[in-house]
Amino acid sequence: MNDAIFERLAAIVGRDHATIQPGNLSNYQYDGSADHALPEAVVSPGSAQEVAALVALCNEYDCPYLARGAGTGLSGGAIPESGGVVLSMARLCQILEIDPVNRLAVVEPGVVNANISSAVKHLGLQFVPDPSSQGVCTIGGNVAENSGGLHCLAYGVTSHHVLGCEVVTPQGDIVWLGGKTADAPGYDLLGVFIGSEGTLGIATKIVVKLTPVRQSSRTLLAVYDAIDDASRTVSDIIAGGIIPAALEMMDQLSTATIEAFVHAGFPTDAGAVLIVEVEGLPESAAESAEAVRGICTRNGAREVREARDAAERERIWLGRKSAFGAMGRLSKSYYVADGVIPRTKLPQVLAQVAQIGARYGLRIANVFHAGDGNLHPLIAFDDRKPGDYERTVAAAADILRACVEAGGSISGEHGIGIEKRDCMTLQYGAADLALMAKLKSAFNPRGLCNPAKMFPTSRRCGESSRIHASGKLSADVERSIGPAF
Amino acid sequence: MPRNELRTLNLPIAEELGRRAGIRPRVRPEECASYAIAGKVPKLVFSPRTLSEASKTIQTLTAEGASVIVRGAGTKQFQPPSPVDVDVVLDATRCSGVIDYVPADLTVTVFAGTTFVELAEVLRAQQQFFAADPPFASDATIGGILSGRSSGALRQQYGTPRDNVLGMRVCLSDGSIAFTGSKVVKSVAGYDIAKLFVGARGTLGFIGEVTLKVAPLPAEQRGVVATFSSANQACGAVAQMSSHALFPMATTMHDAASTRHIRALGHVGDGDWTLVVRCGGSRAGAGTLADAVSKVCMQSGARSTLLLDHDRILFGWSDIAELAGGAIYAADRFLNCAIACLPSEVPAVCAMGQTHGGNAEVSAHPHAGIVFMHIDATRHDDLIGALHLVAAEAEANGWSIAYLRAPLPLGAKLRQPVPPSSPIFLMRRVKAALDPTGTFDPGRFLGGI
Repeated sequence: MNDAIFERLAAIVGRDHATIQPGNLSNYQYDGSADHALPEAVVSPGSAQEVAALVALCNEYDCPYLARGAGTGLSGGAIPESGGVVLSMARLCQILEIDPVNRLAVVEPGVVNANISSAVKHLGLQFVPDPSSQGVCTIGGNVAENSGGLHCLAYGVTSHHVLGCEVVTPQGDIVWLGGKTADAPGYDLLGVFIGSEGTLGIATKIVVKLTPVRQSSRTLLAVYDAIDDASRTVSDIIAGGIIPAALEMMDQLSTATIEAFVHAGFPTDAGAVLIVEVEGLPESAAESAEAVRGICTRNGAREVREARDAAERERIWLGRKSAFGAMGRLSKSYYVADGVIPRTKLPQVLAQVAQIGARYGLRIANVFHAGDGNLHPLIAFDDRKPGDYERTVAAAADILRACVEAGGSISGEHGIGIEKRDCMTLQYGAADLALMAKLKSAFNPRGLCNPAKMFPTSRRCGESSRIHASGKLSADVERSIGPAF
Repeated sequence: MPRNELRTLNLPIAEELGRRAGIRPRVRPEECASYAIAGKVPKLVFSPRTLSEASKTIQTLTAEGASVIVRGAGTKQFQPPSPVDVDVVLDATRCSGVIDYVPADLTVTVFAGTTFVELAEVLRAQQQFFAADPPFASDATIGGILSGRSSGALRQQYGTPRDNVLGMRVCLSDGSIAFTGSKVVKSVAGYDIAKLFVGARGTLGFIGEVTLKVAPLPAEQRGVVATFSSANQACGAVAQMSSHALFPMATTMHDAASTRHIRALGHVGDGDWTLVVRCGGSRAGAGTLADAVSKVCMQSGARSTLLLDHDRILFGWSDIAELAGGAIYAADRFLNCAIACLPSEVPAVCAMGQTHGGNAEVSAHPHAGIVFMHIDATRHDDLIGALHLVAAEAEANGWSIAYLRAPLPLGAKLRQPVPPSSPIFLMRRVKAALDPTGTFDPGRFLGGI
């Protein structure tokens, strides 16, 4: 980046909030995915106006840019693959307003997800979407990825809990999509903005819905010898008209690994474990818990244990949320796949996942949102072994193929980003992708805002997309995707 | 064929168009009359039976420079602004039927011309439902409900229909057929463009198929009817329900005049405002919830409360759902509009409705912050003047107004109010990107899009 551009960037945010020092830049080359690429500059704007001015400047110099929250994303959405400027949202981290009467809060994008619920807990309210990374990830990132979480089975994902966003468009305009009130007239631009992975603009304020905490919550742990029995239980619970707040499954490799890591009280010899949480008025929650217990038992659960108190409940959830961290004990590296299937296809697809693991000689642990059919196979590999990463990526692609063939989706909550863009063709045809490109061109006609994410390149799904150096896409790839992508 | 020539279509030209599109259009005025939009009879009506037929038809019409209005059951044809002229109607009702339904997955895929009632019947057999209570439920199609962004008070527990659309297959003005979203309950693969088509009133393309998330029918439902002396008190009770973490399926409130349309209530008593709360759950759970709601209402100053059993609350809801969208009122007399505000502002908006609306009947979804005004246009001295006052007050307070239905002469004059903060320029770009030829009902959407 030439000095003149950097000077102008620094003039907008202040010299203390802009850097081109290689040592500083290297902190922004990663997110939670396997890819990495160095930005040319990092700036931390302190207001929507500063964001708008930075975007206008990037437009002037034809310079790519992207917004970054906590960098916890798992699909490479915050990796500056094309170089350019990273706008860190770290300074925009205030909860601006809490309105308990209207059950909403206005927050800046850099606010950590869990901090919203902490700030309103004393009011008996919460912000429902709770991704496993909620202690670190930011609401701006949640909006970009339309994040889910453990409790989205009953309550929905981020898009169901956001009323409006102040957005800086890729043209540098500051607009409101939605607002504090419902049913904003006109096209539902907020609906497409959420989950657009930072490619349609940058959120600078977010109006979130707050939900009262239920009176009673019952958490059950059902232990099975066979994973198929657990899978059938999931279908039977839903078919029985019960929508639990959460319905999670872990296989033996997961529970054994987690137990060694956090001592959550999980059995280490079970074929599978289900965590089922039901909520409501005390009588209703008790009734639902009893019904769930019956369904688990009828499907062959060898034990159904209920958390006796809040501490035990928290320990169970700590175990579940520690799953990814625990995988570090299993192998040097691991890769989190993310795909969705119709929940009735769980037994079939889990068997396919096991076969895929065997075919590639990789160990795969399954810990996932069973109620949504959202699989998260964790593939253990050794990054130092030549070819191990490539085999892992190929195995993950086979898992996604199995998901799509079962009628599902290539991502339930981690997004497409760099990681899965070449797998989009598994799920979508040319006309489907062309429709997405048309929408993108309406918002981001020059393609400078988080370029090259989400749309397929000339690679095939399953070919490693890891980028080992800062820089741009190869020329042939760039030609094939065009500026709108 | 230039756009203006379509206005003088003759039979041979229509037949040529039909030959190219692969289906014969209706062309005689007497055949086309039942497909009128707000009294304007179209010159041609195409009724494709498949998405592929729709695609060929749309491609042909776009090539001829026609403007096309997609029409379902026509239940929302009187939403302002009325069209000045109607070239071609694309009748969506022939593309109907359930394509795929897996009860244990809680998903169903239907052709968009399927009626709400038809779908409800299929789902009810499995103790499930599409959790929405839109007006015009007896006739409306799923495509029409989504295009018109119809919803009801069930949004309190289940969200609006927008929140329960998982995927869509649409046809754009160039004839291309595209799928967006997925057929599973959770997906973040690519842009969620289905949300754009919800509420687009058919101006972005033709919705062919829709995959919906459905919900289990509660085993038991109960109603609580509470009367209050003021809207403020009634809203206070709703806020208290939230504070007590009570989660009913839906809550509506009605002034004395609108309460009279709810046949299941009979004569409920002495309140100026009536709150109706629909509770669902297990057999024991629904009763427990209803009792708790009733108690909160009494503590919040209700003059009386009444419990309704399962059948009676469902009977009551058949009227309540129709009330909100104005379906219960005579189309040739009443202006029906919805005003979105903060839940805490519902009493103020109700008061505004009663002040400016003259004889207006007022109802609300207090939990969502939506107030409905139903004004008898024939009995209002200066309705246009009153609407200006309402618009000014709404603008000053950040409320948004949607006209849902208007009698014909008025409907031609009314334009949907554009809130000052509305990003119309961005919406224009979206329209230009998805429908660059302006085939789909140009000029009638918000801001003249």
